[in-house]
Amino acid sequence: MPLTGTLDVGTLLSRAPAMPDFDTEPLELHNVELLQLSFEIDDTAMTALLPPALHPTVPPLALLSMMHAPESPYGAFTLAQVRAGARSAALPRGFLLGAWCDSEKAAQALAARWGYNARVADVRLRRYHDRITGTVSADGADALRMSLADPEPISGADVQYVVSVHLATGADGKPALVQVDPAYTFHRAERGRPSLEQFDAAAWHADGMRPAWPVAATFTTVDLTLPQIRFVLDPSQPAVTGTRRLR
Amino acid sequence: MKFGIFYELSVPRPWDRESERTVYERALEQVRLADELGFDQVWAVEHHFLEEYSHCSAPEVFLTACAAQTKRIRIGHGIVVCVPQFNHPVRIAERAAVLDIISGGRLEMGTGRSATWTELAGFRANPDDTKKTWDEIVRELPKMWTQERYSHEGQAFSMPARAILPKPYQKPHPPMWVAVTSPGTEIDAADRGLGSLGLTFGGFAEQERKINEYRRRIKVCEPVGEIVNEQVNTVNFLFCHQDDEYGVATGRRLSGTFGYLAGQLVSAREAFPSRSYPSMGLLPQLRPEAAGPDEGPRVPEGICIGNPDRLIETIKGWESIGVDRINFLLNAMETVPQEEVLASMRLFARDVMPKFERAPATPRAAVTAAGAD
Repeated sequence: MPLTGTLDVGTLLSRAPAMPDFDTEPLELHNVELLQLSFEIDDTAMTALLPPALHPTVPPLALLSMMHAPESPYGAFTLAQVRAGARSAALPRGFLLGAWCDSEKAAQALAARWGYNARVADVRLRRYHDRITGTVSADGADALRMSLADPEPISGADVQYVVSVHLATGADGKPALVQVDPAYTFHRAERGRPSLEQFDAAAWHADGMRPAWPVAATFTTVDLTLPQIRFVLDPSQPAVTGTRRLR
Repeated sequence: MKFGIFYELSVPRPWDRESERTVYERALEQVRLADELGFDQVWAVEHHFLEEYSHCSAPEVFLTACAAQTKRIRIGHGIVVCVPQFNHPVRIAERAAVLDIISGGRLEMGTGRSATWTELAGFRANPDDTKKTWDEIVRELPKMWTQERYSHEGQAFSMPARAILPKPYQKPHPPMWVAVTSPGTEIDAADRGLGSLGLTFGGFAEQERKINEYRRRIKVCEPVGEIVNEQVNTVNFLFCHQDDEYGVATGRRLSGTFGYLAGQLVSAREAFPSRSYPSMGLLPQLRPEAAGPDEGPRVPEGICIGNPDRLIETIKGWESIGVDRINFLLNAMETVPQEEVLASMRLFARDVMPKFERAPATPRAAVTAAGAD
């Protein structure tokens, strides 16, 4: 059977958000800008980055993304994420390794409601005519500098965002993988060349993740709904047996 | 209705030096039995880099062994990836011609373009271009097979005049097919006079719609070759057992394993947004199968697992919507013991095959010369 993750989630619990319950309400965000770059990564860490519940993709992928929400109940915010491509049983997923947010208020809400393990940093998403750039500066150093070059319009129907799974602890203090599957309505989509100028793997809890081959870069404007939590997985079990449906 | 078998040649971990050899030898044993039992065709895919799912990267070699070890069964080379970074078009034509000669004119030529990022990126092929390169190459192959000297200036490849040798044994050339997974590919097949090699599992209604459209369009096609191959070929699982409950349970294990493996693949669409890949092809159809044995109907619609009566009824359903051929996947990851696979084939041949009117193994009845009525 396919390879499975070997990550010991016990080592991660100290950074996993505590979710008082998994009963959050959906949140609609309008005119959100989303930049996503993907890279094939060195296969030496392909299983070490994932918990046993997940299979690595073949080839192993890194998904680097940044979203800017101009309005929310927590004010405007920009969130940067690094995920490892995965499969939950046979379903495409991205396992959230690390996140940074430019708003403490938003970061706290995203952690408590959807399990984003976001820390506060200077996170910037900038659009130019020839490129779209994303940068994260934390503790006086650049954790990420990436760009999409030569944007060209494409159809939003051609863009597929992978569902996320986030490591969190529930009310019982036990680790859980929370599935977050936002809904998207596309207003605009562009594709371009991905370029990674700086990536500090340690800053994203992604030790060993070495982006190698560029895959794709997209920039979209969407209405996005962060959903109710529908599924929670036991990180230590295969998803086929360890998935719990909440609703 | 004609029946065939097809191979992805999946190899389960852990791998040792015997793993792949065992899978290949078991497959060849099945092919020899299929030939004896009256199955009409054996197909082998071309896949690269797809760990466990398919170790069938040189199907022309496997199929040559099939041809050499059988007398009657037709040899389905497909689909061959018609993307220049995978296969130079001349090499496709040459290999196919040799296979047709070695098999004594039993070749069926399947064409396609690959649907996984794993493969496309492995050969540094641009997903935006594969539909175009397939189209160019599929138009050129018949010329390579029929013209004494051939030259070409195109987007996918160019070459000065050369004699492409040898020529196929079948005249004017072997029947040609295209893999139909993405929506609209059945129209591509029909418009070019190609057979529809449906790589989909189950679901009568959607298939019937596609087949009707295919039959309507092919009547006014501009064939790429010198013959029109108006046939609808589809793929299914096969596990036939007298005990229906055991047959269904084993068949579900087979289909579930295959679906689980297929779900691990990174589709072109998932990785690289492109108008060239409007769907994820086979994968979404297989993923529900992998959701778990407690979900969905006991036997998904159209799947050929269970006892002979159930299979006859299922195949009658396919026949009624216009399917001409069904190719069966017999195993995945060796989840079914070899003796049970062989017994399933024997029972199917004894109790199910005779219930269907069978055209001769040669495709003449369905293949018409281009321009003929």
